[in-house]
Amino acid sequence: MANPSWGMVIDNDKCTGCNACVIACQSENNIPINEEDHFTQRRPIQWIRIERYWEGEFPNVKARFIPVLCQHCADAPCEPVCPVYATYHNDQGLNVQVYNRCIGTRFCANGCPYQVRHFNFWEPEWPDSLENQLNPDVTVRTRGIMEKCTFCVQRIQRTKRESEKNNTSIKDGDRQLNPACVNGCATDALVFGDFNNPESKVSKMKKKELGHGGHGDHSDHDGHKEHDEKRGYHLLEEYGTHPSVVYLKKVDYESKTVEKH
Amino acid sequence: MIPGDFQFSKPPKNKLILLGVLGSIGFIVFAVIALIATFHISSWIDKPIVFAGEAPDQPIEFPHTIHVQELGLDCTFCHTNVTKGASASIPAVNLCMSCHTQLGDGSTEIEKLREIHAKKDVIQWTRVHRMPDHVRFIHEAHVKRFSGTRLVVEKITDSTNQIRLTEAKTIKAGAKIGETLDIAASGTCSICHGDVSKMHKVEQVRTLKMSDCVDCHRENDAPTDCTTCHY
Repeated sequence: MANPSWGMVIDNDKCTGCNACVIACQSENNIPINEEDHFTQRRPIQWIRIERYWEGEFPNVKARFIPVLCQHCADAPCEPVCPVYATYHNDQGLNVQVYNRCIGTRFCANGCPYQVRHFNFWEPEWPDSLENQLNPDVTVRTRGIMEKCTFCVQRIQRTKRESEKNNTSIKDGDRQLNPACVNGCATDALVFGDFNNPESKVSKMKKKELGHGGHGDHSDHDGHKEHDEKRGYHLLEEYGTHPSVVYLKKVDYESKTVEKH
Repeated sequence: MIPGDFQFSKPPKNKLILLGVLGSIGFIVFAVIALIATFHISSWIDKPIVFAGEAPDQPIEFPHTIHVQELGLDCTFCHTNVTKGASASIPAVNLCMSCHTQLGDGSTEIEKLREIHAKKDVIQWTRVHRMPDHVRFIHEAHVKRFSGTRLVVEKITDSTNQIRLTEAKTIKAGAKIGETLDIAASGTCSICHGDVSKMHKVEQVRTLKMSDCVDCHRENDAPTDCTTCHY
């Protein structure tokens, strides 16, 4: 069987901005607690964050949310700039960060247009009450190295190991396999799966919403009806990074507009 | 002797002593630096050739020789988790006490064990094999890879009982090429841990550096992607 190409489909229409994915990620991946001064210095570590936009004038204000995580770009701008090959693309479509190789030049974070790479400016610290909640399957990153979303590669590896042991294939949408953010999402706005498997939920969604063109190239040549039906797009697709995360537009019938952030 | 020729005047005695003392201090400093450098450089490449250290002392002297060689206990009898999960696991004191409530009266080491058991304490073993924090080693996967019925022994390179990881395809010494081997889980431990049954004190046999791991992964067609071990 072909290697999987892990990816995600994020439906902005379903996202309520509840931040459950952020908390799930925080606890799954041993991310240190972001304190207030980390935010004021613009140095918080959030592998997934909810970007919030306000729309409209005062009485009719609407909040719009976009969950932003590492897009695991096929042509990632972070990869060629690393002098020590600490970040590279593996055969499963993952953009891998190798912590023990990283020397902390931060070139990758400067190259990333999505601002999803985070540098450890401080030694990670947890309150005593949380010392025992650390996930033993995830490395605790020390000060001075870069970290980012891994699509919970520890869960992928574990599922792969289990399926090899039991001679079964990896099930699509398996909760053992899904990243913590996907499992934590209350409205199923995040869907994780294998884009190389045409039967997977993400492949079907991508085909339906993005069309054959891929990479969000669904211009209006078929008329407006086509435009209304297909909601898929990539974040900042004009940069040509070819991300593995597909976003679906928020459709607001009330304001008769299709929001594309 | 030609008059006016340069003549080395004999230095006074106290100056000679000073020179001697300075020289020996300098030599000692140089030797210390050289030793430290040797330690660091050699431990970077392989096991350190100086200050290597012996097997660490354990709070209770547990002889694997008696338990494995003489009694013939299987590795998985105590290290139960080795076929089930990431860590091999150290047995609970209760497992020791299932025999040692009856056996071993008079031995000081067993008295220590009974004392710990009476206090409902745990034995603070000194860890011998430790992987760095950024390495995920899964015992289960490795044991599974090498145990079970293996159809063909592909090559035999080591005729002694010392089985090395680089020749991991030949688990059993004395096997013939093409022979079917039935290898128990405990038959695979010695690949990395050496023959623990012959160790009075457990020591680390292999360097367990990354090159060690990667060499074996290449040899056995295991994945060498970084995310196999580092995440």
